[in-house]
Amino acid sequence: MIDFLPDDTPELRAWRAEVRAFLAEVVPGGMHFDYDFDESPEGWEKSLDFWRKVGAKGWIGLTWPKEYHGLGRSAIERWILWEEFANWPAPGFPVIGHAVSWFLLRHGSHEQKLRHLKGIADCTILWGEGYTEPSSGSDLASLTTRAHRDGDDWIINGQKTFGTAAHQCQWMAVFARTDPNARPHEGISCFLVPLDTPGIQMLPMHNMAGGQQNQTFFENVRVPHANLVGDVNQAWSQIWFHQGGQNLDQPGHAPDVMEYRMLRTLKEVFTFCRETKRGGKPLIEDPVVRLQLAELVEGMEIIKLQSFELHSTLVNGTAEGWNPLGGVFNQIHYREFWPHFAQVCMDIVGPLAQIEGGRWAQLQGRIEHYFRGSFGNHAGGTAQLKRMTAATRGLGLPR
Amino acid sequence: MAIDFHFDEQQKLIRDSAREFFRKHCPPAAVRAAAKATEDFPAELWAGMADMGWLGITVAEEFGGLGASFLDLYVLYPEMGRFLVPAPHLDAVVVGAGLVSALGSVEQKQAILREVVAGKLLIAPALTDTGGFGAEDITTEARGANGGYVLNGTKLLVMAAGAANLLVVAARIAGAEGVSLFLIDAAAPGVAREKLPNIAGYPLYAVTFTDVSVGAEGLLGEAGGAWPALEAVLDKAAVLQAAMVAGAGERVLEIAVDYAKNRVQFGTPIGKHQAVQYLCTDVAVAQRHTALLALHAAWRIDRGLPVAREASLAKAMAAKAAAVMTFSAHEVHAGIGFMEDYDLSMYTRRAKHWESHLGDRRHHLERAIALTLEPAA
Ligand SMILES: Cc1cc2nc3c(=O)[nH]c(=O)nc-3n(C[C@H](O)[C@H](O)[C@H](O)COP(=O)(O)OP(=O)(O)OC[C@H]3O[C@@H](n4cnc5c(N)ncnc54)[C@H](O)[C@@H]3O)c2cc1C
Repeated sequence: MIDFLPDDTPELRAWRAEVRAFLAEVVPGGMHFDYDFDESPEGWEKSLDFWRKVGAKGWIGLTWPKEYHGLGRSAIERWILWEEFANWPAPGFPVIGHAVSWFLLRHGSHEQKLRHLKGIADCTILWGEGYTEPSSGSDLASLTTRAHRDGDDWIINGQKTFGTAAHQCQWMAVFARTDPNARPHEGISCFLVPLDTPGIQMLPMHNMAGGQQNQTFFENVRVPHANLVGDVNQAWSQIWFHQGGQNLDQPGHAPDVMEYRMLRTLKEVFTFCRETKRGGKPLIEDPVVRLQLAELVEGMEIIKLQSFELHSTLVNGTAEGWNPLGGVFNQIHYREFWPHFAQVCMDIVGPLAQIEGGRWAQLQGRIEHYFRGSFGNHAGGTAQLKRMTAATRGLGLPR
Repeated sequence: MAIDFHFDEQQKLIRDSAREFFRKHCPPAAVRAAAKATEDFPAELWAGMADMGWLGITVAEEFGGLGASFLDLYVLYPEMGRFLVPAPHLDAVVVGAGLVSALGSVEQKQAILREVVAGKLLIAPALTDTGGFGAEDITTEARGANGGYVLNGTKLLVMAAGAANLLVVAARIAGAEGVSLFLIDAAAPGVAREKLPNIAGYPLYAVTFTDVSVGAEGLLGEAGGAWPALEAVLDKAAVLQAAMVAGAGERVLEIAVDYAKNRVQFGTPIGKHQAVQYLCTDVAVAQRHTALLALHAAWRIDRGLPVAREASLAKAMAAKAAAVMTFSAHEVHAGIGFMEDYDLSMYTRRAKHWESHLGDRRHHLERAIALTLEPAA
């Protein structure tokens, strides 16, 4: 049955109200914080504090099995939770490796789940993701970081790059080549690596929006065999970001951080247009601005509905007439729309949008900051590659 | 000869020496350092440009300039874009000194231009109250008092106001029609200069006038009659801004094409893929469109032909190109282009200022269509 109503029962409406009350108490007025575009110590501290409170409620692991530090709640409850966080807005989840939790739930051993999900659930351990290398970006399967077996341990040598906020993290999921003689996709394994292990060095890479990626160097880094995830050489099929399928291991998709940043920004621009006059008229009455806003609303609406589609696909299976690779199509839209959206917001806010702070800045410079961040739209794979995946795997065009 | 895209020998000489000079004095590290420095721009660079004669290319010889043509000036601009020259030539010289040349009395010109050309006096044009560049964006008020005027208002996005000695302030005289310009000492009582942190790292300021007195001799041009000359100077500046975008675009294109040739993924240079070829050609196409419109408008100025429509088309295109070229180059680079230390980011940041400086795309498109459909009688 076609349905677009997440909270269609009194229980679910009560759940939404509970989430809202929590937000009102813990982050009254909301908080603008993006872990990947912000290195301010106060921002990090406040957002971690917020997420630890969410963790204390058990809501980070809301849908995880109870035996692994979760609450075993339903996918739709998770949807409502994140939707409320997006609307509030709550500070962005400062754990890039949130995906690590889904990965571990699916592929980790019983011991790994018991041990590692706890720190994610209460937000005391932050995880970085180590897949990209200087010569292996889109062509991830060409990665050359090596792991050798040495008795009960593995020894890792190589270099990862673009590790978002890795310098803030205690652990990293590292993909390394364990069989150099196998075909590229068949010789990669994943290791859970504590970042204080001897032999690890990190160098900062400052991004255009004021956040930090990192280069991470591994020199004879020793990790126990117990930190290998799943079977050796099987990481490619486990990789959660593979082909846009990072949501496949989740019980159902919910509006994510990227989506709610956009929503938050759009709301701010609406307010700005209501409150600002140009040429004696409120901007909101300017027909050109209205068209621009309409286009933003259209793109945003599509992103929102794509979230619904993905949720439905993951929970109920692919519906008739819908491509099972829907997630990839969503990513194409998101990656292409984001920079355009930011550009149009800058245009609407006007020449003063270039000011970053102080009393003459518009919306405290947040649109400008968001604009700079939009050049980070390639995180997790480029739009071009997503299109190729959609064309070949989704549409059946020749590879 | 009737249609010819070649610069003459003198213009080529200026262009080549500019390229050589900026290559030497404005390497990326110097551009980055200038954006972080507390001083508005490197004084040695400005002195060097003065020595080259570039602060007075179009200034009449009797006031210490070279008395050369607009196209002689034009050829500097693609180079200034390419090297992201951290010096306020466009604002201080083209607009600031340009207004004095266009509207000043002989005494004003005598007192000011020679000093400007020598690099000893810096003018900051303080024009917009809103960020926009139409006549309606000028709202600062000048009240007649004691045979002079008293100014109140805040000017925004004023380039290099911190280093400036003299401000050219656009205002409206209370109770009268039209725009007036005033020459005001930047250190006069009641003038407050606030630096505006901005995406480009340029020395932009908000300048607030609180009961600032200026004598009648501080008027530049006729009371209420400055707009036509101001508009003409802004047109020249808009064309040069477009030329700067085109020059920066050449460099952005080189960066993107080099990267596409050298970055290998899946065993081949990424530039072999049509997806990447399209992105590179997006940069090239936008760059060429801007260069064409800017060059044509510059030629019209040089010949003394009406140029308002063509200047607006050039600036409108430049605004679009500034966004398209940097966006496409970022797409070619993916992750590495997002890193602050990568040179592309320097262009992206400044391009955002250029987009709206001297009028954004919408302003110039509206003006261009009005001038196309309803040409001035
Ligand atoms: C903000 C940000 C955060 C990130 N965080 C992390 C992280 O935490 N951990 C991590 O491991 N990685 C991270 N990454 C890395 C990210 O996954 C890579 O940037 C991405 O996979 C693209 O790789 P690349 O940057 O090397 O680009 P490249 O693969 O070099 O691509 C360059 C260009 O070539 C094109 N191209 C490449 N191959 C083809 C082809 N076959 N056909 C057509 N076009 C092609 C691309 O579309 C792009 O336009 C992050 C990146 C960013 C920008």
